[in-house]
Amino acid sequence: MVMEQRLLADAQFLLLGSQRHPRLLSSPHAALQPLLPLITSPGASLPTLSSLLKTLTLQLQCTTTTHLPRIVLSLLSALSDHHPDLRREISLAVRAFALRLLPFSPSSSFAHSLAILFKDADTSSDVTDEPTFLSICFRPCKASLRRWLLQNVDKFCVRPSVLIAVLLGFTKDPYPLTRKAALDGLVWLSDKFVAVEDQSLLQCCYFSAAELLFDAEDSVRCSAVRTVSEWGLLLVESNQDKCKIDWSDALFVQLCSMVRDMSMKVRTEAFDALAKVPMVSQNVLLLTLTKKATSATKEITFPGRYAAKIYKLPASAAAFAFIHGLEDEFFEVRRSACCALRTFAIAYGDFACEAVNLLMDMLNDDSVVVRLLALETMHHMAMYDCLKVQEGHLHMLLGALVDDSTLIRSAAMKILQLIRLHKLAMFKLCFEGLVRNLELYPQDEADLLSVLLNIGQNHGWFVAHLIQENTEKIEPSLGGRLGFESARIVALLVLAISAPVSIERGICSIPPRMYSYAVTLLGRISDGLIGTLNQNDLLSHLSRCSRFSCVSSSEFFRGEESAVPLVKSDTSLYPKNDGIHGSCSQRLLELERVVHPIANYPLKIHDEMESSMGNILQKIHSLWPLIRCGFADEATRTLRSWKKQLKTFTCDSSEPTAELVFVLQYLRTIKLLGRVWIRCMFPLKPCFGVRKLEVLFRKLERSLKEMKYRFLGFSSEQELHILELILVTLILKLSNVKACCPSTNLKEISSVVTRVEHLVGGRSVELSSFVIELQKILREIGPSTAVLENALLLQKSLEYYTLRQFMFSGILVHVAAKLDVYNNYENPLHYVLGLPAGIPIEITLRNISRESRIWLKMTFKEKLAQFVYLDLHGLSGGDECRKFTFVAPFFGPPKARSFLLKISIGMECSSEPPYRSNVCGGPKHELINISGDSEVFLTRVGG
Amino acid sequence: MAIECLVLGAGQEVGKSCVVVTINGKRIMFDCGMHMGYLDDRRYPDFSLIPRNAAEDFTSSLSCIIITHFHLDHIGALPYFTEVCGYKGPIYMTYPTKALAPLMLEDYRKVMVDRRGEEEQFSSKDIVECMKRVTAVDLKQTVQVDKDLQIRAYYAGHVLGAAMFYAKVGDAAMVYTGDYNMTADRHLGAAQIDRLHLDLVITESTYATTLRESKYVREREFLKAVHNCVACGGKVLIPSFALGRAQELCMLLDDYWERMNLKIPIYFSAGLTIQANVYYKTLINWTSQKVKDSYATRNPFNFRNVCKFECSLINAPGPCVLFATPGMISGGFSLEVFKQWAPDEVNLITLPGYCVAGTVGHRLMSAKTPTQVNIDQNTQIDVRCQIHQLSFSPHTDAKGIMDLIKFLSPKHVILVHGEKPKMESLKGKIESDFDMQCHVPANNETVSIPSTHYVKADASSAFLKSTWSPNFKFVTERSRGNLITDDMDMISKPVLRVRDDRVAEGILTTGKHQNPKIVHLKELVHTSGLETHDVQFALCFPVRITKMDEQQQLNPVSQESLPFLHQLFLKLSNNFSEATIQESDQNLQIESFIVSVCSKEKCPHRMNDGPDYTYEAVHFCCTWSGADEKLARNVISFMKNLVLNKC
Repeated sequence: MVMEQRLLADAQFLLLGSQRHPRLLSSPHAALQPLLPLITSPGASLPTLSSLLKTLTLQLQCTTTTHLPRIVLSLLSALSDHHPDLRREISLAVRAFALRLLPFSPSSSFAHSLAILFKDADTSSDVTDEPTFLSICFRPCKASLRRWLLQNVDKFCVRPSVLIAVLLGFTKDPYPLTRKAALDGLVWLSDKFVAVEDQSLLQCCYFSAAELLFDAEDSVRCSAVRTVSEWGLLLVESNQDKCKIDWSDALFVQLCSMVRDMSMKVRTEAFDALAKVPMVSQNVLLLTLTKKATSATKEITFPGRYAAKIYKLPASAAAFAFIHGLEDEFFEVRRSACCALRTFAIAYGDFACEAVNLLMDMLNDDSVVVRLLALETMHHMAMYDCLKVQEGHLHMLLGALVDDSTLIRSAAMKILQLIRLHKLAMFKLCFEGLVRNLELYPQDEADLLSVLLNIGQNHGWFVAHLIQENTEKIEPSLGGRLGFESARIVALLVLAISAPVSIERGICSIPPRMYSYAVTLLGRISDGLIGTLNQNDLLSHLSRCSRFSCVSSSEFFRGEESAVPLVKSDTSLYPKNDGIHGSCSQRLLELERVVHPIANYPLKIHDEMESSMGNILQKIHSLWPLIRCGFADEATRTLRSWKKQLKTFTCDSSEPTAELVFVLQYLRTIKLLGRVWIRCMFPLKPCFGVRKLEVLFRKLERSLKEMKYRFLGFSSEQELHILELILVTLILKLSNVKACCPSTNLKEISSVVTRVEHLVGGRSVELSSFVIELQKILREIGPSTAVLENALLLQKSLEYYTLRQFMFSGILVHVAAKLDVYNNYENPLHYVLGLPAGIPIEITLRNISRESRIWLKMTFKEKLAQFVYLDLHGLSGGDECRKFTFVAPFFGPPKARSFLLKISIGMECSSEPPYRSNVCGGPKHELINISGDSEVFLTRVGG
Repeated sequence: MAIECLVLGAGQEVGKSCVVVTINGKRIMFDCGMHMGYLDDRRYPDFSLIPRNAAEDFTSSLSCIIITHFHLDHIGALPYFTEVCGYKGPIYMTYPTKALAPLMLEDYRKVMVDRRGEEEQFSSKDIVECMKRVTAVDLKQTVQVDKDLQIRAYYAGHVLGAAMFYAKVGDAAMVYTGDYNMTADRHLGAAQIDRLHLDLVITESTYATTLRESKYVREREFLKAVHNCVACGGKVLIPSFALGRAQELCMLLDDYWERMNLKIPIYFSAGLTIQANVYYKTLINWTSQKVKDSYATRNPFNFRNVCKFECSLINAPGPCVLFATPGMISGGFSLEVFKQWAPDEVNLITLPGYCVAGTVGHRLMSAKTPTQVNIDQNTQIDVRCQIHQLSFSPHTDAKGIMDLIKFLSPKHVILVHGEKPKMESLKGKIESDFDMQCHVPANNETVSIPSTHYVKADASSAFLKSTWSPNFKFVTERSRGNLITDDMDMISKPVLRVRDDRVAEGILTTGKHQNPKIVHLKELVHTSGLETHDVQFALCFPVRITKMDEQQQLNPVSQESLPFLHQLFLKLSNNFSEATIQESDQNLQIESFIVSVCSKEKCPHRMNDGPDYTYEAVHFCCTWSGADEKLARNVISFMKNLVLNKC
């Protein structure tokens, strides 16, 4: 306390004396420095501090010496940092000081005072407004001050339109650091610039930044790469259709041209930027993995900068870009390159195939980190289902399995359990690799067994094959001893018990005694299944299977129906990001199915199916938050596993029930909707080309239509549910698919909304907030034609959409048809050239009313479709089932010796808008395929 | 001013690199190599061609010699030149080169004298004396050779201690690359240089047309071949040069062995290889980033799986890997082992990418296995073992050369150290792609290129002051330079560009016996003592007036008594609200535009060629300066359509 007072008194004496103290004049810094501990000390009393503040403020008001303000300001700054409650007062004093300085040539004191002002977030000061900013910028001043100003551009209130001009101008500054600050400012601005209408301004920013890609200063080039990337993305965004792709390519190639920069930071930045490019032409992309320009890309040039003086960017500038990045000397660059590669590998199939070769080779890299990165990239690709592993690759991948590093081994295992092996040889190779791992690293056993179990489930037939080949090895040797300590035997047994889980009907292909052998390994196996199955459940599963015999499987289980508890899991239904967990829950579901239904088979199959469906319908809406947040693949995997689960029922019962078919269709629709949603709502995520999105949309729409038309007996809630799904699809399509006609689309939306309103009209059913919002927006839009804005407006309503639970009530009826043509390749139908060919078809129609318009569609070589109308009026039988034979005429068969005809039955959906190009005599509205395709072989009679 | 390049060696060939460059009067010799293919005069560069006056010796005619790295084709003739030809001036090379060069030279001298029995060109003492004159430099260290000449070394990859050299005399600057590698390998990094303003780059072009695969591919192939061989119990012989390749491959294997938990021994044959490792261990700073990164925990040149080899081990059972010199199996230990191991098909022999004709390596490369190789008249070896050809190379490929040139963007390029047809093809590519002049001189040819020369000028204070504040201009340009617009439907409108004109407003003035001086545009008139001339425009034209009653119908508010000029003022104020209009008794003024009522019948500015008018009118006389042309036009056209009230 005494010390405090002394220091303060000393300072006051120095600063407030009638005459300036010589010590203060000669070295103000040394004179005032002792005050700093006083300010920073946490124990300083408030009165002392405020009197110090007063002294300093007073000093600021009357200061004349040039050095003094600097030290006073830095003391104030420290004071403001350590005592936020004084901040207000400090800013007031500093502001007054700054305003006093303003008319003079700007000095570093001014910058210093502004820096203090910026600390106080809620001062909207008149020293940080636009006129001040501009006046300091354009007055002669030190380069460092100007740079400081540009670096803090975000703290000033300047209109973006003014700021952009100022920043653009300063990209031409002779001082490199000012150029850099201007570029950084542009990057900051690109984020803020909401509506950029002016193409030429965008281009100006883009090209100005591109020019600085050839700056002599490393740091400027670094910022230039970032600026080119950000403004390039805006430029891409602002263009339409073909231009959009061209600009995206131009940006991609421009960034690629920087990956050979000599500065590591620039290279890293370039790859980081590459990862953000939304789309790129396949041929340009493929170029990044080869040094030679293909004939397709040789002549292509883009606007941009190739070299300091070359204003034309050849596509070949992209050549080898990724390889350069991946074999870079610096780990940072390799990491960025790997991430960029990952984005494109997921979005582009051909590229993925090429990239896998490269990634596999990277497993020889000397750095663990890089190897891990390569493996993670592959794992990522595998999760998106775009990792195509060839036999040659396996060698490298299995090499990683015996790697010294635990991380590498476990990453390799993660990949192995996700990939699909196409050949038995590959499967065997894989098995050998895993066994070698098991022998070398016993500590991995738990993980490894789990991997084996997984692989076994995914490749059931291969497992059966392998076990059969190796049966005698597993059998007890002459002495009656089982060689279970051998890693190979353990691995084989684990494979064996995984098999029945995936082969629905081939359960007998594994000798039941394998299960009893496996029981001896119970502890070890269940270690690998921690979190999925407990030991008891596994034991009962094994013991049951071991008594299982192909002759009378069901008899064994009868009478102990409830002996096995249904496997319940606490793990959440959402598969975790990490592959092992994901497939665990999938496996769990499968085990659940095997353990439980077999016990009750076949009596309770129907109940089982119903409860299964009920379960799924109950859970499915909880996937929506996942999709909403962009985790499509996780959701997809869960959906896929459910589908698999349900599919088993279709194999067992002869005719699947309408409910089952509906739920399967529903799962498929949600899966498609999820994928579409991700592509549309997360455009910066790795996305496909536009084409693929369109294909997805087509699939989704077809799926929705089938749901709408092929099932009868929906309650209004159910119909509402489906209509909402249709609305979501239409809105997504409006804003994301350029090829669709926006006005028709808009009309469709309104008509569906009308239908919804009609359904609800007068009933107690509540409209969802999504529909209410949509109605509001539609009213707002009215008959306006500004399609783009409308699309954005409508997209807003999607924020309100959530998938609700689908409730089953009443009985569903499935509209279906069956075609039987008694003909195959060996017994073709005959026809005479020049005459129409008659094709006898046995047709079964289910649940089709007499009023429906049913067409037989015959297609030859995907080209020409001929339609034959099926008049149902003359037929006997009820709506539930009609069976009749019909000879369909096929006109003008080709001159070939023999040919193949595809036939199917379609139902016209009369509530859809009529066909635009009406094929003469064909259906007027869209056809919904209700039968699936059948093939007819025809052979010409005579010469 | 010009830069003269006299190519004494490596012109359109590989071998005896030597280029003598004269920049602004300074003469530098880059590299002083020997050709390994010749035994006569042609093995050395023709030093007599170095321009010098009759009395001058080499010491005074050359400012310095710069050696890029220790390979003999870059340094082999140095002792000869200094000790026999008598050059006593400064020599520069990097620290590792200085350390390793005497070993290489001594080794070569021994081979020449002891084995082949040739006459000795220089003695061991010469080498020692020569090395005493060498100044070692560090990377990126700027060395002031003399008052005008600056040199700086940049990392080049290639071999330990290899450097590219930057040389600057006055305003002219150039880079001589020596041999370099643009991609890092396991033990050496990639070439690294700053972006400099250069007049000339002299670059090697060993692989002028080759495009090399990713290094991962060649590493995988090598490892696979070796692993397969040892897994089957075979022995692997890797004949290799002592420095560089051996370390690279050994590092690769050592890592792989660690990773894969292999316990098979790797041997280094005694000799230079082990000694070379010592250098690598101490010169960590010159190796790759990976080595530097891992150096903190472990020196990667301390190979964990390498053991010393003894001759008795040649026929020991079991698999092993052996590194042995020389690389092309031309003799020595590698030939010895080859004789023993070649007949067994489980063994593997790797061959370097390039073998000189006449060596066993070359014969193996060109023959198909299994084959027979004659070592000498009495010895014939049945080669049944597997052969793997390596594709490792410490030189950059065509793309690397292009990338470096693109990055440096010099005004001129000279290619050396390559084969002529390939160099021609690369030259064409450089010229077409970068719009740059490129030369491929043959040996003893001189290329002369213009160099940059800056003029020193004084600057006026007004000009200096103007450069303190920015002066932006936005201009639109339709197309630019060689921007061809055929594929540019993406750019539909003219492109907006920004310029900073602060320097453009300066004007360079020179007078007799005066230093050139830059003055600001505004000062020009004053400093050059000229008068200013303004262009003034004038026009006198009628404006219609109407009688009161007529007007009153149109305009109920009477303005009867107002003078014409004031009426005009009111109307103009209404229409040109943004302009400031000053009104005085005689005239109105907007900027420089002045209008007054003209009472002269024969006003010289009166417009006579207009349509005859029959109505009553008052004449207004206007004057304005050229700067306000647009404004004047607007005001006049407005006035012409006016109708004023009669007073």
